[in-house]
Amino acid sequence: MQLSDFLPQITIDDVQGWFIYDPKAPILFNTPLFLGLFLVFYGIYILTRNTFRLRLVYVIMFSLFFYYKSSGIYFLLLLLSSVVDYTLSYFLYREERSLQKKVYLWFSVIVNLTFLGYFKYTTFILDGANALLGADYTFNRVLLPVGISFYTFQSISYIIEVYRKEITPAKNYIDYLFFVSFFPQLVAGPIVRAKDFIPQIYAKLQLTKEDVNYALFLIIGGLIKKTVISDYISINFVDRVFDSPNSYTAFENLMAAYGYTIQIYCDFSGYSDMAIGVALLLGFKLPTNFRTPYKSASITEFWRRWHISLSTWLKDFLYISVGGNRHGSFAGFLFPGLFFCGLIIWGINFSHVSNIPLFLSIGGLVVFALSFLLSKDKERTMFTNVNLFTTMLLGGLWHGASMLFIIWGALHGLALAVHKLFNEIFPTKKDAQPTFLGGVWKVISILITFHFVAFCWILFRSRDFPTAIDLITNISHVTFDPNQWQTIILGYKNVFILMAIGYIWHLMPEGFSKGLKEAFFLTPLVLKAIVLGFIFWLVYAAASAGPQPFIYFQF
Amino acid sequence: MSQNKPYFFQSFTIVMLSIIALLVFKKFLPEKIFTETVAAGKNVVVDSTMLEAVEAAKGAPAEKDTLVNTRISFEATNGIKFPTEDYEDYKGFQHLVVFYEKLLQLETKQQGKVRIAYFGDSMTDGDMIVKDLRASLQARFGGEGVGFVNITSESAPSRSTLTHQFSDNWKTQSYLKIKNPIKPFGINGHVFFVKRDTVNPVWVKYKASRLSHLSELNNPTLFYGRSGNTKAKMQVVIGGDTLIKKLPASNILNTVNVADGGIKSFKANFIAADSIPFYGFNFDDGKGVHVDNFSNRGNSGLPIGSFNTNLMRAFNDKLGYDLIVLHYGTNVLNYGSLNYSWYEKRMAKVVDHLRECFPGVAILIISTADKSTKYGTEMKTDSAVVPLTLAQKRYAVQTQSAYVNLYTLMGGDGSMVKWVDEAPAQANKDYTHFNFRGSKKISDLIYKQLNDGYVKYKKLRGVTTPEPVEPVEVTPVRPVRDSFKIATPPVQQPAKPITNPAAKPVVIPGKPAVVPAKPTPIPAKPAEQAKPAPKKVAKPDSIIKKDTVNAQ
Repeated sequence: MQLSDFLPQITIDDVQGWFIYDPKAPILFNTPLFLGLFLVFYGIYILTRNTFRLRLVYVIMFSLFFYYKSSGIYFLLLLLSSVVDYTLSYFLYREERSLQKKVYLWFSVIVNLTFLGYFKYTTFILDGANALLGADYTFNRVLLPVGISFYTFQSISYIIEVYRKEITPAKNYIDYLFFVSFFPQLVAGPIVRAKDFIPQIYAKLQLTKEDVNYALFLIIGGLIKKTVISDYISINFVDRVFDSPNSYTAFENLMAAYGYTIQIYCDFSGYSDMAIGVALLLGFKLPTNFRTPYKSASITEFWRRWHISLSTWLKDFLYISVGGNRHGSFAGFLFPGLFFCGLIIWGINFSHVSNIPLFLSIGGLVVFALSFLLSKDKERTMFTNVNLFTTMLLGGLWHGASMLFIIWGALHGLALAVHKLFNEIFPTKKDAQPTFLGGVWKVISILITFHFVAFCWILFRSRDFPTAIDLITNISHVTFDPNQWQTIILGYKNVFILMAIGYIWHLMPEGFSKGLKEAFFLTPLVLKAIVLGFIFWLVYAAASAGPQPFIYFQF
Repeated sequence: MSQNKPYFFQSFTIVMLSIIALLVFKKFLPEKIFTETVAAGKNVVVDSTMLEAVEAAKGAPAEKDTLVNTRISFEATNGIKFPTEDYEDYKGFQHLVVFYEKLLQLETKQQGKVRIAYFGDSMTDGDMIVKDLRASLQARFGGEGVGFVNITSESAPSRSTLTHQFSDNWKTQSYLKIKNPIKPFGINGHVFFVKRDTVNPVWVKYKASRLSHLSELNNPTLFYGRSGNTKAKMQVVIGGDTLIKKLPASNILNTVNVADGGIKSFKANFIAADSIPFYGFNFDDGKGVHVDNFSNRGNSGLPIGSFNTNLMRAFNDKLGYDLIVLHYGTNVLNYGSLNYSWYEKRMAKVVDHLRECFPGVAILIISTADKSTKYGTEMKTDSAVVPLTLAQKRYAVQTQSAYVNLYTLMGGDGSMVKWVDEAPAQANKDYTHFNFRGSKKISDLIYKQLNDGYVKYKKLRGVTTPEPVEPVEVTPVRPVRDSFKIATPPVQQPAKPITNPAAKPVVIPGKPAVVPAKPTPIPAKPAEQAKPAPKKVAKPDSIIKKDTVNAQ
């Protein structure tokens, strides 16, 4: 046996492929290419650890290369927007007059949102216009640069924080570019806040054993969640059912909804964990993005545990900006107003076919109105709820250009408002003794919250409205039939095992995760490397698994 | 040990060692986890005839392809002879001459009618592909109605061309699983019996869609077989009216008309109908083109060999088939061997049997589409696809059938990966099945090849007719069904004026039974008013289509 037996065979074409953008294979943390590139990058990074500017420039170069590998020529867009934002923030910081400051701020925000709007929403707006006006404007499909939603928000956070004097701005353009382009969180978050990150640039670079352990622990968990659980159940089950719900039994439809619920968590939080882990290996601490959100006992709690970097961003920069819980603003009322108007027009349009849409739209409006009319402090609660609703609507739209995302946001906004009212009527005591009934109530609350969230995910995932309605209709036809269920579960054994692992892992008490972490910390260095190598193999072997053949059930 | 000591080099060492560990693991551990298991069990649909055939063929030596590089010449049919073809690019239009002649009569003289039986597997489940082909043909040659529909079907919910519901007290026997049914299988490969149920009625319900040419259930007619039962009745509920129809069952195949002309929907309750073999309902207006979709998930095509000849001839007398399409292959791909001579031989027998059952019918073989499998970490065309298409071509040549190579039509090697990855996607993530968009495209490809042959036929026959722009865009939106009401605006297609039922031609049994004799057209009806071509409807659901590319 020779060393070459272990090493992969490499051709010139392969080497070219490493450095040239391939739209079909954008770089991701869970690809072998990233692993190889990172090893080389990391070695040199460590050698430059005691330099400052050199190290920053080096990381920027790698980040831009990384972005080029995932989005091609659009890395120029990242450069362009960073130049504009840095320049504006530079003048903003040195400006004393309030009007001028506002102009700088708005100009920057508008530029950022224009980039985002152009790339993300052009097709959506044109489609909408075409449908409304009966026209047929076609437009070349605008390709979406990867991660634009994330770095745009990051840039906006920087300029607003400079405006609010919450941070001292980056000392020069290089430092700013380092913040915006930092590759671990560039493509899929977490959305790092300038006030958390900028100070780290200027601090002495440190990396303790603790940090490395935690980073590896996160990377391992992230890899399993993303590549093994999420990718496998999506391609072998969830995608198929969402592609054509009516070809599947009611039970399979229900399981696809549960499957997607764990899939999106594993996918998103897994990738976030990897990003946080990789950043930590470089000595940078990024904020936690997910804290086992499906354990939440209320929708309010869910949003404190789901995609935390986005929800805090929305709270600080959107919710507060439109008035927060203190006052109303034009923008705050505009979006809910437009939304409910549109909803009712839609309902009226359909009234000749069915009254259900009209009932739903009026019902939605009534529930929303009641959520503050029943409150003691009506005016203030109204401001809060309207602003919250605006935040959730736009938050929904941020996820993608589709009515379904907006409705998804609206449902969450409505639920938050209703939960606020519920809390006002049945206040929870802060330091109540844990009782049995209290425990039962908590479990019920968790189940309700979970199912509400899972229901909303159906809208989030479906290709279009008819698909979502098919899926929901099919789920309503589920009957208790253990034999049928057993046959289906055995038919998709691997999928259901992975789903179960995903949920059990998620619902384990925090102590379990802590124990695991401590055990990992105590293993010797070589063993850690072997565990990591084993996980890499697992990722590779899972990625090699072919799609499961189609199974047709007949009951 | 100090926790604050820089840990850079150790960190790097771990990453490097882990990569070495990975290379070692890759060497010694299996290449993939989650093996692709094929599930089995009584509720999993598998084609038992095929499994037996696979078993019997194990160990058979590979045979040489004797047809490679040959030229295929044809004998004249009715004085029409197509030029010689290369085996590589075989299409066999010659064998469709009888079918083309009927189309021509229909097109030039508005005489006669054409019926197509489209047999398929999960590809055509829920009327996918077939509905588009039917729409294109009916838009051009006329004809209304979805054709023959089963009593019960596992794919009824996904069928968009009509709403089909049924009670759960039906007993179903399918030629996929059963060798010796209680009574012979119908043309749809199924036979249905009512279960003894004194409490709940046994019923079926059909409702027409809003699609053009399918907006009514035309002349709904029940088809059922022979039984000693003389008491059976069918209670038909149409709107507010209830009719009772007796079900005499003395012939090998019996029909009872539910209503004359077109109705929107009806429900049929079956009373005291024990032991009667039911087959299904037919919906057609007696003119133009009708296409029956006989799809069966999991079917390889082999079970067709079990058709009862006498019963099939009775079906043919009533319905008069001009073309039989055999669209199979997906379910034959996953059985290891790349030697498909067993399949070729068995399917050749199936075709011979069909010719015995449906004398004079033209037959069209459609090959398997592209399908991908994972090799390493990449999806590629399954290595069994090309050998299977070759086997399908060989039996098409041998049995004098026409042939459509769907694999090359859709783009050949690697095309399925493209169809799945394209935006908007044309095929599902199982890299096997098409979605409604892809199905339309597949239907267009098939229609185009059929039409190419038709154009050549007309040239050979010296007829000139204006060529319509084809294929027709008939279903630009997902068809609206009941449950979609909430979301999709109604498709604005012109409702068909209700024609006077009495003015419709009755289904005339008795079709020329011998081979290429020139079809005798049915006595002419005054030519139907040219129908307005279905208008292309602006996409009403485009506003809610979404781009999930960046949906994180």
